[in-house]
Formats: sequence, C-alpha cells, structure tokens
Amino acid sequence: MSSIRSFLLNRLVFVIPQLFGILMIAFFLVKTIPGDPAVLMLGPNATDASVAALRTKLGLDQSVVQQFWIFVTNLAKGDLGTSWQTTRPVLEDLFQRFPATLELVTFGLLSAILIGIPMGLASALKLGIWGKISNTYGLIVGALPDFWLGLVMIFVFYTLLQWAPAPFGRIDMIVIPPATVTGSMVLDSLIAGNWEALVSALQHLLLPALTLGIVASGPIQRMTQSMVESTLDAGFSRYQVISGLPTQMVVKNALKNALPSIITIISVLYGYLLGGAVLVETVFSWGGAGQYAVQGVLNSDVFPVLGFVLFASIFSLLVYFIVDVLYFLIDPRAGS
Amino acid sequence: MSVAVKISESALTASESPSRDQDKPVVSVRSLSVEFPRLSGAPTVAVRDLDLDIRPQEVVGLVGESGAGKTTLARSLLGLPPSPGHITAGRFVFDDKDIFGLSAEGIRQVRGRDISMVVSNPRDELNPLKPVGEQIATVARVHLGLSRREARQRAFDILKAVQIPDPERRMKALPHELSGGMAQRIVIAIALVCSPRFIVSDDATSGLDVTVQAQILQLLKELILKRDSSLLFITRDIGVAAHFCDRTAIMFKGEIMEIGGRDSLFLTPRHPYTIGLMSAFCHNDRLRQVWSTQNEQIEVPAGHGGCPYADRCPNASQTCLDQRPELKQVAEGHYVRCHYEVAR
Repeated sequence: MSSIRSFLLNRLVFVIPQLFGILMIAFFLVKTIPGDPAVLMLGPNATDASVAALRTKLGLDQSVVQQFWIFVTNLAKGDLGTSWQTTRPVLEDLFQRFPATLELVTFGLLSAILIGIPMGLASALKLGIWGKISNTYGLIVGALPDFWLGLVMIFVFYTLLQWAPAPFGRIDMIVIPPATVTGSMVLDSLIAGNWEALVSALQHLLLPALTLGIVASGPIQRMTQSMVESTLDAGFSRYQVISGLPTQMVVKNALKNALPSIITIISVLYGYLLGGAVLVETVFSWGGAGQYAVQGVLNSDVFPVLGFVLFASIFSLLVYFIVDVLYFLIDPRAGS
Repeated sequence: MSVAVKISESALTASESPSRDQDKPVVSVRSLSVEFPRLSGAPTVAVRDLDLDIRPQEVVGLVGESGAGKTTLARSLLGLPPSPGHITAGRFVFDDKDIFGLSAEGIRQVRGRDISMVVSNPRDELNPLKPVGEQIATVARVHLGLSRREARQRAFDILKAVQIPDPERRMKALPHELSGGMAQRIVIAIALVCSPRFIVSDDATSGLDVTVQAQILQLLKELILKRDSSLLFITRDIGVAAHFCDRTAIMFKGEIMEIGGRDSLFLTPRHPYTIGLMSAFCHNDRLRQVWSTQNEQIEVPAGHGGCPYADRCPNASQTCLDQRPELKQVAEGHYVRCHYEVAR
C-alpha cells in the first residue's frame, strides 16, 4: 500500500506544472484568434481614442507574454478575470454553469458505458445475431458527428414523435427549479424531493445525454470487444475452460482482466466528451460551461475560454487520478 | 540392431514397475481422428485413427516431435481440440462413459474433476489477477460443490501435497510472484485438487531447469500413484519417457508408430523412427547419421498413401509408398507400425 501512496504523491507533484503548460498553450492559441474585444465592447461608433483608452485599461497594449504573466498572477490570487459579455467574474459564471456541463457529460458517459460494455461483450462472445448487430453498431456509431446526431434526435423524438420536451434548457420553464445544492438538476430535485422537477429534468437530460452516450459507446464497444477477445484467447482463460470452470466464470474473469484498458478508454472519453459537449450543449441550448466558452470564442471574450480550459483540465486530471487509483484496486501488479 | 540395443540400455533406469496388464483400462481411445480444415484442399489430419488404452495407475508416455499431434490429442481427449480443429471420428470411453457422447455441460463437469490437464508455461496459464490459492479453491468449489471454507482447506492441503514451502503464504501469492517451478506446482495442484482418475500432462515440465524438472516429475508420479490415477505423459524428450513411463508410445504425424512397455521398447526398439529419436539423444555421430538419413534410392512423391515416415526413413522401399502399414504386435504388449520393422 505504500507503493500506491508514493505513486499518487508523484502524480500530484506534476499537477501544477501540467496545468501551467495547458494554460500557457491555451492562452497563446486564444490570443491568435483575430478580433479586438475593445472594438466589440464599444460598438461600431466608438472613436479611435476611446478604443485605445479601453485597450490600455484592459492591458491589451502590452505584449502577449506580459498579458500572460498578468493572467497567471491574477489566477494565483483566485481571479480568473471578468467576462465582458456577462460583466461578471468568470469564476462565478463557471461555478454556476460547469455543474450543468458535468451533469450532461456524466450521464452521457454512464449511458455510453451501459450501452458499450454489454455490446462489446456480445460481439466478443459472438452471441449470434446480437454479436453481429453490436459489431456493426460499434463500427457505425464511432463515425457519427455528435451535433448531427443531436439534431436527428431532436427531429425524431421532438418534432416527429413529440416524446421529448423542446430542446431548450435543463428543465421546463413552468417548473420551479429546485434549490441549488450540487448544481446537478437531477440530484438537486432528488435532494429537494421535488418529483415534478425531477421528471422534467430527466426528460430534458435524456436526449442530449443519449446523444453523447451513443457517440461515446462506439469506442467502448470496440475496446471491450477486442480486449475480451484477447483475454479469452489467453492461456489462463483456456486453462480455466480445460479445468471445467463454467463459461460464465471464465467470461467474468476475462472481463476483469480486460477492465484496465476499458477504464482507460472511458477516462479518455470523459475528457473528450467535456470538449465534445460544447456542440451538443449549443444544439440543446443547455446553458452549460461549454456554451459559455463557445460564446467567449465567438466574441473575443478570452477569460471565459481560459476559465473553461482550466476547469476542464482540472477535471480531466482528477479523472486520470481516480483511474490510477482504480488500477491499483483492480490489478495488484500495478505497484510493483 | 545391436547398437540401438546399447543406447536403450543406457537410457533405461533400474526401477522396474509391475505389469498391470490384467487390469481393465480406465481410458480407452478407439479410432480417434482429428482434422484441421484448410482454406483449400483436403483438411490436415492431425490425429489419424488412433487407439490407446491406459490402465489404472499406469503412466503412459507419448513421445514425438513438434507437429506430431500430441497436444491436439491431449486437448481432444478433453473435448477441446485446438481451434479450428475438430474430432471427425472415434470414441473415447473413460470409466465406462462415452466422453464424446456427452453434452457440452456434461463434458464440462468431467473436465478438471475426472480428467484434468497439466500444462506447460504455467505462469501464462494462471489468472494474473487472482491469488493462486483462490484459483485452486475455485476448481474444487465448482466441481465438488464445497463451501468456500472447505474449498480453501482443500486447496491448502493440495499445496502441502505438491510440497510448496510455506503454503499459508503462497495461498495469497499472485502468479507473477512465483518462480517457474513454483507456478508449475500450482498448476499440478489445480490438476490434482479434485483427485481426477486420469491426468494428461502436456509437455508440462519442458520449460524448467533439469533439476527442478526431475523433482516435479517425481512428485507428480508419486501423487498419481497415491491417488490411484493414471497419467498420459506427453513429452518431446524420449529420455524422460524412458525414466518415467511404464509404457511409451511414439507418435509421428498423428499416428502411433510404435508402442510398448519400457523394457521391450527401449531395449528392442523396432521402428526406424524410434531408433532415430533415440540416436538423436546419443553422442554417436555415426549412429545418428545412419538413422537420420533418408533412403535416396527411392523417389517419394508428395501425397502418397503409404507410410507417413517414408520420406525420412533410411529403410524405405516401394512398398512403404504403396501401402499404409498396420500396427502389428511384435512382442507381448509391443506394437509397431512398419512394413520392415527392425529385427532384434
């Protein structure tokens, strides 16, 4: 157990430099996007003098390196800058919006796991027609663009069938949302015991989460299939068959041996979905951090973008950290 | 062949085992054929029309080079011929049960409980994520319907029986923490934990040091005799078979070329291939030369229907290409498949 502690401490030491590197790259990339916030803020009728004055006030007349340094020193004080669109501190905006994104991505990933792993098993075990369906499904789904799938879902389940509510926001306008505790509409409704809100929140969550889930279930299905196939073909699985263990038991052990790779792909997908959610959020007017960041990019509003990058990377690193702990729990060889 | 007599004398150990010819065989294989389909053309025959009887407490060796069909035979006896091979003909009667006639579930219950297998590369054959004690106990629990505690106790007892030092601690060890010899003992423990009546050892000790190999073979044999089991001992090393087995079968291209009791076979080998195998272990260049050069006076066409060894046999003649030799008795319990078996 001491090996796990030293390993994890080792990982923690690298978190700060990792975040710094990510922010630096993001900062310089965002700065290369053309567009002057001062011009956008003051509108088309502003005089050159007032634009220049605002640029000085915002620090835009300084070099990019100096601007980055100012950003980092402010960050160290807990100040992520202010969005000129919402005129509120980015940190506040993100605290308000990030849970919405996280809720969407988490439920999306959960549905991807619930779809992907059984389908991967079905195709690895060649369960007749189900195996073939899963195999084709895995091939097709990985190639679908998520925003397009979202639009198709809206067309089918809202426009045609009227099963789903209008793709606008996280809860019905007429339903009073529960008090914010976790930031997740579903969990908060549960905590408040507000069934009407819970049903409405789940209804709104279903399509966008399923959109992300279907797209992400492709890689999970593929990984599960190939890993379970190879572990079933490994000597130890064959020896279990030779020893007369029931098929169920052999498959369970094979899946357990395949799990580290499946967890790896899931953790990578978590980070990927966080980025991918940006488009799906826009399609469903989700009002989360992804949409906030897109607005920032489109309007030369730098700080929301950087804030989103920072939040997303902290979250991804957290997921990787958890995955490392899981490895230790699954595979006793990991520490040695 | 007086020289061959001399080699086999040197390979023979002093110990003699009593003949149990009167006993009814526990394993009886009749006309077993296993074929591997090919993309085009006729399927490859890995085991052809094979008969084999093994009596209680008997250790039968099966010797042959790579590709002789030894592993295919071993796995076929468990109803698991290596993919994509399949059993095309034959019966396997074990303990008055027709094994190939059983349902999938029926044969699964036989595997590991009545017939078990010791495999080589033991570390790859163990689940890397489970403590070995648990792996042994699982087999006992599944087959004998024991509770977890009883199964653990049984696993512990068998670990002691295979002479693993500090069995208490080894129960919790993971496969990667064990040495090769230790892992081999674990695999033997798994194979023996249900006290099966028939054990197949597939090249089990070939990956080990010679000294460890000797210890483990000794142990395996003791345990098998103590438990009234029988053993089919597959090896490429004819020397080990001479030391270890009551009877030995020599296999070539899916057929048994010669089979006999230890004395008869090793003192008076009758098949040119048997002698060739023995001379390969002998430090005599001339002897090796004579028994491993083919007869160049005859032309061996591909796909002839005769003796499978004809293309490598120093004694081959036209008859060997035209007719497939039958297994014929040359002495008490000693059979040879050759038109021109080597005279004593």
